[in-house]
Amino acid sequence: MSDKKFILVVDDDPDLVESVSLKLESENFVVEKAYDGVEALEKIKEKQPDLVLLDVMMPKKNGYDLCDELKTDDQYKDIVVVLLTAVGDAVTSTNYTHIDGKTNMADDFIPKPIDLDKLVEIVRENLE
Amino acid sequence: MADNQIVKTEFVYKILVIDDEKRIRDVTSRLLTQEGFEVAVAETGDMGMKMIEKTNYDIILLDLMMPGISGLEVLPYLKANHPYSVVIVITGYATLEHSIEAMKKGAFDFIPKPFEPKDLRIVITKAVEFLSTLQDIANEKSRMGVLVNQLSGGVMATDTRKRIALANPAFLKMIDYFGQDVIGRQVSEVFQNESIERMIDQALAMSTETISDFTKELDFGKNILSVRCIPFRDRLNRNLGTITVMYDITALKKIDQLKTDFVNMVAHEIRSPLNSIAMQLKVILDGLAGAVTEKQKEILDRASKKINALSNLSTELLDLAKIESGLITQEKEEFQIGSLLEDQVAFFQQAAVAKGISLELDAVPGLPPVLANKRNMEEVFSNLITNAIHYTPENGKISILAVAVKKHLCVSITDTGFGIPSEDLPKIFDRFYRVKNEKTRYITGTGLGLPIVKSILDAHNGKIRVESEPDKGSTFYVYLPI
Repeated sequence: MSDKKFILVVDDDPDLVESVSLKLESENFVVEKAYDGVEALEKIKEKQPDLVLLDVMMPKKNGYDLCDELKTDDQYKDIVVVLLTAVGDAVTSTNYTHIDGKTNMADDFIPKPIDLDKLVEIVRENLE
Repeated sequence: MADNQIVKTEFVYKILVIDDEKRIRDVTSRLLTQEGFEVAVAETGDMGMKMIEKTNYDIILLDLMMPGISGLEVLPYLKANHPYSVVIVITGYATLEHSIEAMKKGAFDFIPKPFEPKDLRIVITKAVEFLSTLQDIANEKSRMGVLVNQLSGGVMATDTRKRIALANPAFLKMIDYFGQDVIGRQVSEVFQNESIERMIDQALAMSTETISDFTKELDFGKNILSVRCIPFRDRLNRNLGTITVMYDITALKKIDQLKTDFVNMVAHEIRSPLNSIAMQLKVILDGLAGAVTEKQKEILDRASKKINALSNLSTELLDLAKIESGLITQEKEEFQIGSLLEDQVAFFQQAAVAKGISLELDAVPGLPPVLANKRNMEEVFSNLITNAIHYTPENGKISILAVAVKKHLCVSITDTGFGIPSEDLPKIFDRFYRVKNEKTRYITGTGLGLPIVKSILDAHNGKIRVESEPDKGSTFYVYLPI
């Protein structure tokens, strides 16, 4: 029996993925890693995570598009998606409305630079 | 005598006296020559007409009753061939009918015979004033013409029925028009561009109460143009037509794009690695990568602080670069400020809650939309809200209120923060100026936030005002025209 929650961490920066994973593992989550949008989609299909921590700016497929894809697909729409996004970008980005995860497709967002303790907090809230 | 002195001008006016009476010719001629005019005389209407053919006279004194061709016969010829000459008729017997008939035929004034020198002076003074007004208008027109034609910006004026009244060479070049004269023709006949026509329609439909201008960026062939259209009005505030001003911003747009690319590159190549180093340090510090000794912890702590400071600095520099590139070319659109503020408040709620600050928005329903650059407005309010959060101690309160005040929309941001000492108040909008004291020392910043806010508002014909009391709090008022 495993009631451990399964989280997929997606970012094109392997160092970031490693740090976030170490933190989440230390908090008793099961973690899988992906480094671009396409790889992320494969892992999601294969492993059905409970939550995806999703970077926005990535090669191959960006976070917005992947998020939209998941949320419009009945099979995956229940997977919680939390975007990782730079604060400066969020405010000035022309995609501003897109970023406000709560009114759009994503379930929530975590501002970059990431505060690891806060990240765990937000992940827990969204898994409740 | 002095009170009747004729207005002296640098310009020497030419006067022609047509009269069959020698005495009148002599007296008038002598008097007017003394006054500084260049005077010529003619004994008959016939001779007068011949002289007029050769020379342009500014003022013509014309006797009505002459043997041969009478003054009333000369007059229509004069008006037809020299419409800008001022004709004053001399009537031997000042009958009303003759004078009225002469005025109907285009005479400027009349003078009854016999007349005193002062009567002549009065009439001539009036004529000279009239001529110099005409001259002023002509000068102004010529100056305007040269000015408009020399502008590097494209300028087009239309009347209320969208007929072109003026279009300078720069304008014609921008719309790629090299055909025949455009004056008097319909805009749609000369070039097809729905956006520009719509802007002209909007400008014409603008109520006389408002003077807002529409600025739009349009793709015109291979060029990108920044187009502004504004109505112009007479002194009774009636719309007379529109003025469209265009700038070719193709090159600016290219530079802007380069700058954006550069900013994005820097963001990705510098800021992201910095953040990820900070996180790696944190992971080690938290013991997630094995046990850490006290000494190692101390060193890593110091490294973390430096990395975080660098990361903050790069973020602010990037924000600045982004904002400045946004200011180069402004695209305005109409939108509700209330919903923009709601988004901002939602975005900053997390940061406010973290400090135990209550962040509240009160936007009066039914506010009119503003015409502004949305990205700029986001920048303005995110700067002001961020400042309020930074400069308000824990458990404080920030309230944002949006109301319409006469012709402006006013958004006020009130905090219960440290306030701004009165000696610093005039300087807070200066670049790189930061209020430094015991309480604010640990707050980092570039000192560019408020100057950017101000320059954005200036560019929108808006303004910002601040009221502050140390230890009580500050209120920033943002005014935007509606």
